[in-house]
Amino acid sequence: MTSTGFEPKIAAFVCNWCTYTGADLAGTSRIQMATNVRIIRLPCTGRIDPLFIIKAFERGADGVIVSGCHPADCHYTAGNYHARRRFTLFNDFIEFLGIDSRRITFSWVSASEGQKWADIVNDTTARVRELGPFSGYRDLVRSGLTGGQDAGT
Amino acid sequence: MTFSISDSGLNALVDEVIASGTTVIAPAVIKLSAGERREYQKIGSAEKMALTGAIVSNSLKPFIMPPSVPLFRYTRAKAGVSLEPAAGKAQAAVVIGAQACDIAALEIVDRVMDWDYHDEVWFERRKATTVISLACTQADASCFCTAVGSGPDHPRGSDVQFLRKKGGYLARALTETGKAFCAKYGSHFEKVGDDADRDPLIKETREKVETNLKIDLGAIRSFLTRNFDHELWNDFGLRCHGCGACAFACPTCHCFDIVDEPEGITHGVRRRNWDTCQTAKFTVHASGHNPRKDQNSRIRQRVMHKFQIYPERFGDVLCTGCGRCVRVCAGGMNLLEILKVLGKSAEAKS
Amino acid sequence: MRELKDLARRLLEEGAVKVVIGYEEGPVGVRPVFVTRPADAEKLVFNSKCVQNLAAYLSRRRGHIARLGKPAIVVKGCDARAVAGLIRESQLKREDVVMIGIRCGGVSLQPSEEGPLTPATVADRCGGCESREPKLADHLLGALPPAPPKATRMSELMAQIEKMPVAERFRFWAEQFERCVRCNACREVCPMCFCERCIQDKSQPQWIETSPHARGNLSWHFTHAMHLAGRCSSCDECQRACPAGLPLGLLNRKMAEIVRNRFEYQVSDDPTVPSPIGAFKQQDPQEFIK
Repeated sequence: MTSTGFEPKIAAFVCNWCTYTGADLAGTSRIQMATNVRIIRLPCTGRIDPLFIIKAFERGADGVIVSGCHPADCHYTAGNYHARRRFTLFNDFIEFLGIDSRRITFSWVSASEGQKWADIVNDTTARVRELGPFSGYRDLVRSGLTGGQDAGT
Repeated sequence: MTFSISDSGLNALVDEVIASGTTVIAPAVIKLSAGERREYQKIGSAEKMALTGAIVSNSLKPFIMPPSVPLFRYTRAKAGVSLEPAAGKAQAAVVIGAQACDIAALEIVDRVMDWDYHDEVWFERRKATTVISLACTQADASCFCTAVGSGPDHPRGSDVQFLRKKGGYLARALTETGKAFCAKYGSHFEKVGDDADRDPLIKETREKVETNLKIDLGAIRSFLTRNFDHELWNDFGLRCHGCGACAFACPTCHCFDIVDEPEGITHGVRRRNWDTCQTAKFTVHASGHNPRKDQNSRIRQRVMHKFQIYPERFGDVLCTGCGRCVRVCAGGMNLLEILKVLGKSAEAKS
Repeated sequence: MRELKDLARRLLEEGAVKVVIGYEEGPVGVRPVFVTRPADAEKLVFNSKCVQNLAAYLSRRRGHIARLGKPAIVVKGCDARAVAGLIRESQLKREDVVMIGIRCGGVSLQPSEEGPLTPATVADRCGGCESREPKLADHLLGALPPAPPKATRMSELMAQIEKMPVAERFRFWAEQFERCVRCNACREVCPMCFCERCIQDKSQPQWIETSPHARGNLSWHFTHAMHLAGRCSSCDECQRACPAGLPLGLLNRKMAEIVRNRFEYQVSDDPTVPSPIGAFKQQDPQEFIK
């Protein structure tokens, strides 16, 4: 906990076959980790539309984790390869738009890597806690940034 | 009653209005990547005002009918749903230096806003806004205010009308609101104002606009009533992309969409957003059927709404000839051209 | 351009095509024209005001144009890239369109801009163009004019943004997107936006807020750029069409740069070269993935 008591809200989009199972393993192994992460299970990282990540920030997430099977281990053979290309574009592009890419962690976590999952969770939570809350996106409606047209708040 | 006010007097007046807490909306220069434009904006001081320059690129619509405005906020609790109306947000405002076409548009749209339902969201901003026009001293090939019953110095809708003269402006208070405004800020005005001093450019501008388009609105209205299936409509919509930039730039277009936007599991806001009949999905039914499934029928709808349906119901064409639809159109659509063709066809048929 | 008028007339007279989609002088500048009668081929022009990308009119979504019959289309190099994109993505068969390529010396920012091109008046994409002679063409007309001057506004703005710290960039884009009224002109003029139902139209569930506030607008423009990654032909029509004057071309420009740097791919006017999205390599970059 920081002195301000800010606890980041982190959404995690993980694939069912590797990372979700790995996270489960972390749990059954009783590995202690930060409790800030809400997991959303998908069949494959290939299902992850960059819009999910954007939506998470739009709805008030302070950080996002995206994780799946290692390349060559995808349950659906090539889903994570497609995802990898999308993530590459996404990661480079959001910096241009002004969203700090340090708020997002991309990882490959296999079903047997319970400890790695715990490390990802702890690292991300610490990093996002350091960066502070990200309410800028969610609160854009009330921003009143410019002297321009009245968007009607 | 015609007053006069000097340039510096007007600046002092504007600064005083701003200091009193009233919003001032005036044309101001904005720098964009593609160049500079003059836009109506809320200004923070008189020096931001740009009363000369390019034709104003936006209309006053965003200030009276914002692109997105909350209607109410809702909260769901165990006891039920509670609503908090968003009305009562309109702040006192003065528009200074608006083009006549933009002001006339407000009065024209008042008609439909007070027709089957008195639209509080529109009228609370209307009532809170004092409107001061400035007669135009320039026009381009897309202006056609005179063809639709308006003009560069047309007073319709203005509380106070400014006309440029050497060193300042003539000011004509036209409504009770206008008279009250001039009285309140009387220290900046001089009682004497001679109409003969008005800038001769105003008359030249009117003459220029008149050469752009001359049409018989009544004849066009009759023609439109009887020619829904005319083959003319096969050609008009070809280059149109169906975006709606025209409708959004238009000071008289007022179609809207209502959406509920959750802001959390238990609460959210209902909003009214600008919408346009030019998009493909505007008339899609839940069944999937679309009575206006191609651009030709959508263009026909737009022209008929403005030049036949609205005047039939309310007596005014839903257009003030500002020309923005032509200026913003990426596909090169030209309403003056369409009206000319309709006018000729109307003549031919009579 | 005499060659163009003659070719168009001949194609129509012979029935090789039913409509020639090209440019004409309109009341306030050059604009698209759809010539269906041989005599009307006289309307066709090609000059430095021919800014518009006509490829958008080839989308199947535009039923009223598709109904006219087999088209011929006048294309500059940038436009040819867009048509190649449509063919690549199976929206159009190569044999269903006649491509009239024109050797191009650059175009102006606005279709009403008379006079020779200068760095102030030339379109942002023209400087340094490598496609002045469209390769995807059934006919190639005109003599190759001198190379166009280079506009610097986009690269300057890009550099300005890249110097900003992240929070300032967010503020910059939020200010821009406050101006967006979600007219979707950027989408409608884009030749590569041919989806019958755009992601914005999806409401069960809704992914992108339709309200034109800065939040909804940011989500839309971000998604639009992602959906155009590796597909955008860099015609800048989105930017030209925007009534609010937003620098939308910058988003696509940045994306194109990312695609080039990361996947060594540049959108070409060869429809047989596959797009990078939808493809992958075993050795794709992943240094940012833990």
